[in-house]
Amino acid sequence: MRKNETTKAISMKTNLHIVLFSAALFTQIALFAQTAPPPAAPARPSPAIDLSGYWSPAVNEDGLERGAGSEIGDYAGFAINEAGRLWALSYDPSRLTLKHHQCDGYVAPYQMRAVGNFRFWEDRDPHTMQLVAIHIWAQTTEGFRTIWMDGRPHPPAWAPHTYQGFSTGRFVGNALVVNTTHLKQAWLRRNGLPESDQASMVEFIVRHGDHLVDTTVVTDPVFLTEAEVRSDDFFRQPSDHGAWLYACDDGEEIIGRAPDVVPNYPLGAQPFAKEYSKKYKIPLLSGIAGAQSIYPEFTARLKTATDAEAEALLRPAPGPSPVSQAVDPEPHDGEIHVWPISPHVYMLVGDGGNIVVETGDDGPFVVDSGSGQLADKVIEAIRKLSDQPIQFIVNTSFLPDRTGGNPKLRASGLDPSLVGSFFSMQFRGAGLGATIIAQQNVETRMVEEKLPAPSWPMDTFLNDRRRKYHNGNAIEIYHEANAITDGDSIVHFRQADVIVAGDIFNTTHFPFIDIKDGGSVQGEINALNEILNRTVYQHEGQGGTMIVPGHGYLADEHEVVEYRDMMVIIRDRVRAMIKNGATLDQVKAARVTADYDTRYGANSGPWTTEMFVTAVYNSLKQAK
Amino acid sequence: MAGIINPAIFQKHPEEYSSKMFIRSRPTFLLLWNVAAAAIASAQFGPPPSGPPPLPRAAAPVDLTGYWVSLVTEDWRSRMTAPPKGDAESVPLNPEGRKAALAWDPAKDQSSGQQCRGYGAGGIVRRPGRIHITWQDDNTLKAEFDAGTQTRTFYFGSPQGKGADWQGISVASWDVPGTIMTRGSFGLGNPGGPERGGALKVVTTKMKAGYLRRNGIPYSENAVVTEYYDRFDIPNGDSLLLVTTEVNDPMYLTAPFWTSTHFKKQNDAAGWNPTACSTP
Repeated sequence: MRKNETTKAISMKTNLHIVLFSAALFTQIALFAQTAPPPAAPARPSPAIDLSGYWSPAVNEDGLERGAGSEIGDYAGFAINEAGRLWALSYDPSRLTLKHHQCDGYVAPYQMRAVGNFRFWEDRDPHTMQLVAIHIWAQTTEGFRTIWMDGRPHPPAWAPHTYQGFSTGRFVGNALVVNTTHLKQAWLRRNGLPESDQASMVEFIVRHGDHLVDTTVVTDPVFLTEAEVRSDDFFRQPSDHGAWLYACDDGEEIIGRAPDVVPNYPLGAQPFAKEYSKKYKIPLLSGIAGAQSIYPEFTARLKTATDAEAEALLRPAPGPSPVSQAVDPEPHDGEIHVWPISPHVYMLVGDGGNIVVETGDDGPFVVDSGSGQLADKVIEAIRKLSDQPIQFIVNTSFLPDRTGGNPKLRASGLDPSLVGSFFSMQFRGAGLGATIIAQQNVETRMVEEKLPAPSWPMDTFLNDRRRKYHNGNAIEIYHEANAITDGDSIVHFRQADVIVAGDIFNTTHFPFIDIKDGGSVQGEINALNEILNRTVYQHEGQGGTMIVPGHGYLADEHEVVEYRDMMVIIRDRVRAMIKNGATLDQVKAARVTADYDTRYGANSGPWTTEMFVTAVYNSLKQAK
Repeated sequence: MAGIINPAIFQKHPEEYSSKMFIRSRPTFLLLWNVAAAAIASAQFGPPPSGPPPLPRAAAPVDLTGYWVSLVTEDWRSRMTAPPKGDAESVPLNPEGRKAALAWDPAKDQSSGQQCRGYGAGGIVRRPGRIHITWQDDNTLKAEFDAGTQTRTFYFGSPQGKGADWQGISVASWDVPGTIMTRGSFGLGNPGGPERGGALKVVTTKMKAGYLRRNGIPYSENAVVTEYYDRFDIPNGDSLLLVTTEVNDPMYLTAPFWTSTHFKKQNDAAGWNPTACSTP
């Protein structure tokens, strides 16, 4: 073939290809145009902005707060209520010398104000490339946040709380909107200004070029009267800073200190309360006025502010105590809800008191039986976890929320270790039913209370620990003398690393110290410390050993520490007043629980704030 | 389809594509590309608009108008009280900046008619007060501040005036993320993806020298103030205005000075209280 013929052939071939290509292209375009846009992917947001990369905070605002830390008394710009203000004024930074506070993590709103490096990255489904989560790593305290983008719901009220909480996100306009719940109690500000475990946070994260802004809106019904709006600026780093870790292990900072010491200042006696105003020559009201300090009108208010009116805010106001603003973690839906704690240990919620079930080859090992109102459903729930009958039930006290389900749960069970043993020759029907274990005083109190015999424990111990090896788990039952009553125990599943605290610890109300049945303030503090002696946190003061409260959400040592601190602080206040000759009425009028009332207080129901204060007073009076 | 074609590379090295595409003629391919690209764009975004693009007011991705009250939750002391001379906590002043801050003389400012130095574009959003934002016309937003009775004008088109006053010249634009290819075709992007949303971007220059803070922390007449105005709706029904500010001033600052300032939407003019500029 000659050259021009070849060229012509190629040209014809090329033209043919162009025609074919064009036809194919336009066919696709036409098809696409007719069908576009395709249906939206259901509930799977795609990023409106890319947050991935390395970011460093720009600390051009609140440098003192975010650096060395603000002065005590500087709570300006925070809509704190009385409880928040008094909690902060009672705070002693020396509290951080306590072993269980040394490695406290930063709670998410505070974490985002930390001065270390940050890294954002996406987690996508490898098959669909849908965005599953956005992760944030913060160098300071090694805070690791996960923002779920896959539409999953938030966990129930009885789920554990963490420093970073549980976050879900979605893109709205040019912002990533993040909703965070299940936060731990921690700081709004490092000078002791508290944020409760009932706080939630909405964030708006926007990016303008290499400038990222995270606006946090914190709502806290316990300590704030209105949402707290702040924002944190970050600038993008082109490469890895190489600094991401934040090692912490606790140690003994003060040798020989008694275990029931928690540094705190008495209400109305914070010696540094005026330091901030004096240092900066501004009215005392500046730092403690609450929500009004946020708005422009406050500049005029400051011109007429007097020290006398501000000083009144340094102590509890006279009058009735407010009540808890916390979410009731009980489901109240007539159902039993199962929350897995570890592969074979479960928390059952719904029957008026938390129940724990351990399963395995040996059959269910149950701790506490609830109120008994939903005992049939409890049994049904346990049968779903194990096809074997309940072998053991431990009661952590004789109180009805621990033992109410005993008769039915016992009857549904079987203790094969007794069937055919010499016990069966002594006791008719031995082993036909679960064996109930408890400290001897539980049985004594139940007999005294004339509770039905089938609810009594038949396997009791005195003051030693009781041990069981069951389902491959070493289980230890420790008597905690004179805590809530004189028959309390805690149960430690060693392999699973779960401690069942019974009514010694709860997340819903002040400790129910039952003085007439042998409870005491000091015994309660000692029992809480005994729990803390057995916990090991996983990382930065959280996780690791899990604690099941008598009522409320599944916890770890941090919640027990805060509860212990509260108990010690209130004890200290009442003890000091008794020492100065105060009567019970004077103690009540002093509102010694003022900084905890919006979290745990009650003016009605089975355990009011007044009943608690009375119990503390009487217990300390008896011990005097 | 033959794959994704990068027109920039193609125009430089068409041979890299020619063997795959069986195209030897650059003009033919370019023609084809342009036709295809137009068709793709049409498929993605609908038919090309007939007539001029919408005016900035109509194109607004976010409604910023109304009365907004400042929420002073950060830098409280420096904003709500008069911090002492030289207190420049968190501000990246250079030695010249520190020198100027220490030379601050409020009495002199007052006597020389310079009492509005703390209310210029570089610092006005940090003053506690209220903002009233309205559309002056389809191309111009107006932000009135009751603190110092100041007015800023944000021009989407050609700015008017020459500056050299406290508020300078502000050029506005809509900052909309992902304008290109946010909606998909050819497997790119996200069909049915997120609404775009957006922020107001304002770049201000040609101001008189002023103060970042009322206690004389300075910025110079050469400073450039870049701001982004974002609006967020929070679950309790309130709306927030976030003003992110970056002040660049090589004369007095070692690094950009970044702040983010919050306002809450009001239903009406309650609390609107124009006050004259003053020195601490």
